[in-house]
Amino acid sequence: MAAEKIFLYNNTSLVQDEVLAHRLGLIPIRADPRLFEYRPEGQDRPEVEQNANSGDTIEFALKIKCKRNPKAAKDCTDPDELYINRNVYSKHLKWLPIGEQPKLFEKHGGIRPVHEDILIAKLGVGQEIELKMHCVKGVGKDHAKWSPVATATYRMLPEITLLRPIMGEQAHRLQKCFAPGVIEVVEENGEPTAKVVNPRLDTANREIFRHDDLKEIVKMGRVRNHFLFSVESTGCLPPQELVTEALLVLKNKCRVLIREIEENWLKSS
Amino acid sequence: MNAPATFESFYLFDGEKKITIEKDTKVQNAAIFTVNKEDHTLANMLRAQLLKDPNVIFAGYKIPHPLEHKFILRVQTTPESNPSEALSNAITDLISEMSLLEERFKDALKEKQESAFD
Repeated sequence: MAAEKIFLYNNTSLVQDEVLAHRLGLIPIRADPRLFEYRPEGQDRPEVEQNANSGDTIEFALKIKCKRNPKAAKDCTDPDELYINRNVYSKHLKWLPIGEQPKLFEKHGGIRPVHEDILIAKLGVGQEIELKMHCVKGVGKDHAKWSPVATATYRMLPEITLLRPIMGEQAHRLQKCFAPGVIEVVEENGEPTAKVVNPRLDTANREIFRHDDLKEIVKMGRVRNHFLFSVESTGCLPPQELVTEALLVLKNKCRVLIREIEENWLKSS
Repeated sequence: MNAPATFESFYLFDGEKKITIEKDTKVQNAAIFTVNKEDHTLANMLRAQLLKDPNVIFAGYKIPHPLEHKFILRVQTTPESNPSEALSNAITDLISEMSLLEERFKDALKEKQESAFD
């Protein structure tokens, strides 16, 4: 869910209308998108927009004016002290519930942006912003503001093989070449020997190649069928639910395809 | 200025079919599937799964132009099967594999949460 249409009533700040609208769209909203529907097509006309449906829209209002602070000390120079509402943060966005939304979301504590301290704009004395925004459901493919995923990466499990047992002083040097925790030096038959204990922590730095005697003995590679995924969420859903939803998206792609095949060509080609 | 709308990469136009099938005339048991408004995400998955099928002799895909959102998938099978059947089976297998992954993921999550309570 992200802001799609902004209704600006008054903007006398130094931030241009379109820049302000762009920034508002990028603010992540703490609302489970699965509880909402996509807006049906053909609903983009202005008069229809004003009648937002409670099932597909979240409405926020922002009304803020910057004033001089009468209680500030005479010789104060800190702008945060001198003026009230100098900085417009995302916590100033007020949720305007539509229809049955209060009942549905009271157990979540209402709908609000994920972070309260996102700076939207800065105001000078006498400047004000008054706007309403409608948030709708969308996909990250359309615009990144709708993507619930912050960063998603994967790597393959590193594999470190010691072609020869490494003992004594060499073992300690080997341990220093890798990230802490990868190599452990254990006492075996009285001699400290190096053992690869946790290759997952390896960062594939090439420190080992700086030691001429060690670089021949160590083989670094990757396990080709072991993937380590890292998924970060923007905040509207926890990352484990993102993975489940992603699998569902893939499944739906397959289901749509197979339905089309079976409807049109009944397996008789 | 000339950029096409971003929703065009996944939104089917009026009259556009998701998938069309054409028989390949040059060889037997071969067909070319054109899938609209999809990208490598689906195409590569299907191709990889088709290659695991012993009845499939040829499976490959290409995206004819990066600015047009569609891919064509060419499948050739042995006479025991036919391309549509191979593709349907591949899709069904993929769905069950993803359901399995989902289940295992949920089990692993539950395990992690239970061990966190100890």
